[in-house]
Amino acid sequence: MFFAQVAPDSIVTPDIAWTALVPHLVLAGGAILMLMVWSLAGRWLPRWLPSMVTAAVGLGAAIGSIHLWRRVTDADRGPFSAVADSVGIDGFSVFLTVVISLTVVFAALLADGYLRRERLDGPEYHVLLLLSAAGGVTMATANDLIVLFLGLEILSLAVYVLAGYHNRRAQSQEAAIKYFVLGAFSSAFLLYGIALTYGATGSTNLVDINAYLRSTVLVDDGLLLAGFALLLVGLGFKVSAVPFHTWTPDVYQGSPTPVVAFMASGVKAAGFAALLRVFVVTFGTYADDWKPILYALAVATLLVGAILAVVQNDVKRMLAYSSISHAGFMLIGVHAASADGTASVLYYLAVYSVLVIGSFAVVGVVSGTGDGATTVGDFAGLGARRPWLAFAFTVFLLAQAGVPLTTGFFAKFYAITAAVDGRSWALAIVAMLSAVIAAYLYLRIMIAMWLEGSDDDAPIRVPVGTVVVLGVAAAFTIGFGIFPEPIVDLARDATPALVNSP
Amino acid sequence: MELTTTWYLVLGAIIFAIGASGLMIRRNPLVMFMCVELMLNAVNLTFVAFGRELDDLGGQVSVFFVLVVAAAEVVIGLAIIVAIMRHRSGATADDLSVLRG
Amino acid sequence: MSAAAVLADIDWHVEQQVFFYLIATTQVVAAWRVVTTKNIVHAALYLVVVLAGVAAQFILLGAEFIASTQVLVYIGAVIVLFLFGIMLTQARIGAENDLDQPNRLPAVLTAGLLAILTVSTVIRTFEDVELPDNSRTTTASVSDSIFSDYIIAFEAVSVLLLAALIGAIVVARKD
Repeated sequence: MFFAQVAPDSIVTPDIAWTALVPHLVLAGGAILMLMVWSLAGRWLPRWLPSMVTAAVGLGAAIGSIHLWRRVTDADRGPFSAVADSVGIDGFSVFLTVVISLTVVFAALLADGYLRRERLDGPEYHVLLLLSAAGGVTMATANDLIVLFLGLEILSLAVYVLAGYHNRRAQSQEAAIKYFVLGAFSSAFLLYGIALTYGATGSTNLVDINAYLRSTVLVDDGLLLAGFALLLVGLGFKVSAVPFHTWTPDVYQGSPTPVVAFMASGVKAAGFAALLRVFVVTFGTYADDWKPILYALAVATLLVGAILAVVQNDVKRMLAYSSISHAGFMLIGVHAASADGTASVLYYLAVYSVLVIGSFAVVGVVSGTGDGATTVGDFAGLGARRPWLAFAFTVFLLAQAGVPLTTGFFAKFYAITAAVDGRSWALAIVAMLSAVIAAYLYLRIMIAMWLEGSDDDAPIRVPVGTVVVLGVAAAFTIGFGIFPEPIVDLARDATPALVNSP
Repeated sequence: MELTTTWYLVLGAIIFAIGASGLMIRRNPLVMFMCVELMLNAVNLTFVAFGRELDDLGGQVSVFFVLVVAAAEVVIGLAIIVAIMRHRSGATADDLSVLRG
Repeated sequence: MSAAAVLADIDWHVEQQVFFYLIATTQVVAAWRVVTTKNIVHAALYLVVVLAGVAAQFILLGAEFIASTQVLVYIGAVIVLFLFGIMLTQARIGAENDLDQPNRLPAVLTAGLLAILTVSTVIRTFEDVELPDNSRTTTASVSDSIFSDYIIAFEAVSVLLLAALIGAIVVARKD
């Protein structure tokens, strides 16, 4: 017979460990439910409801991760992998799941006032935000390069649209198209890197790759090294490491401010999750080969971010460049390729997410209707006009500068400690230099707010959601700046692990 | 000369590089996006060639997912491009310069 | 003698080689034209040639399911979308002179370097490893794999499509 008879034998479907997928399901399921409810009954529901529901869903995903945290930190049970080894649940992924879920809560609360002010309100923003977070969580828990790539794409596609969400603002559309073209470009690089890694190791599963690299001495590792380079280019774009940072200032300036808050926190967290999991954890045995590249990236990112931030006149662009220099500090932790280095990145991500969300919350209300007033001059006299707003911004800026008694100080401290422990003295010195240069930038905004006068007396309306975000973020920054232990301990316990089901 | 896996991989590498160069040279967003498609197809070819070499289904399955991703990217990308160019007909990437440092 | 036996008797290596080189050359030339042509519609049509070539290469590599998906998704949907995009943005159908950056040298150098690096790596690693003569993969085995080992990826793809769907509607909506 010409056609081979395929026996209709049943395939072995993997067990689905539903408990491991709670955060993913809550986020994606919340998005789908919200879409359905609003398309059926949207006109009868109040305008503030979507953002409350989104915040509740984000909170739900974070709370739903607690049982996973208990399980993976329990000495008897420990990390595990689920669903045909595609999802890896360990302290590291649970920690980042919680961080990403909480950034959704903040981004949703910020969006409420913003979207209503700009007359863009509706459930679509929130649905995309939740789907994007579901992608980020998929990325953070991925145990397979293909799943990681798909998570990244879910995250990115939703954020491309969110970047262009302000459809009456040309800058917003322009930000979307720039972000999209460069994002697609970097995805192609990442994917080529995955293909070459697959060719060199024979698998896309991170555990199998790691096991292969440990057990086999490659006669010629050229293919693998090319794979590393391409993966670094792809992920470097996502975490905006220099020289792949060029999109960052334009996109941050043009995108709606609550979206920028999410980009600089949740998206960055997902990017670093991938970077750490792929390079430090999976390619750990080849650390000597990729460390020099990361060293160069970290130095360039630290210096270029800080120096270019100083010469900007737009606060959103300043914060964009400062976020680049912060990415440099996190790259130090990746470069260290040690448990302490990974913990320092996790701590930095958690702390910096709160800071950057708080900062963009202030920018979002000061920018006024149309989201355009974001030059340093627009912040002049803010201390006299809205003292509490200016106070909150000052706290976030001081913390970003790394002033003691704030969370930012410990974040920088642990990053530099990781560099020193790894005997990268020069890197530690560059990091300190970068912190000093960047301090000037934060000082400039503070001087404008407190010392300069302004004849602008247009009222600045601070919506309730933003007040909540500012209050929580400021309390977090000062509170955990004085007592850092709880978050530090969590970051230490959040160790990554690679396990396949037995 | 026997046909070797190398030739498929070389073909993929060349198309990938052509796509990358196109993305950097061109400034019409539509054509830039076509270049991204070139790059993704080069990767697909590489995946299938490796899959054959390793006698593993993973390569083909990966391509299946990449195809879906590419289609989704096209949908979003063209929606954004059409939305922006409807307002400014004939815009090139260089005309988009409201955002500048 | 059954058809299968006849097919099995033919030495496919020669044909495979001839077709590979023919298609590969066409693909490279077409890809080059996508990047250099001054006419945006021509660029889309050259892209069709490359994509169809990739589908043909998939068949030569014994990946039939992927080849047909490639034809359906790329040539059937993606290219049509591109042509719609060209139409909706009122791009000129004729030649256009401002399609390129004024300064091409850095781009060409970067891409050239990329090509040299990847090509030399691939050649060095695989030198003359022949294509293994493993049995043709069936569509059934691909689908078994998708719905068992890659089930999470499959679910992720469905979320991705949902995000793309909502995203496209959001972008396209009017004020």
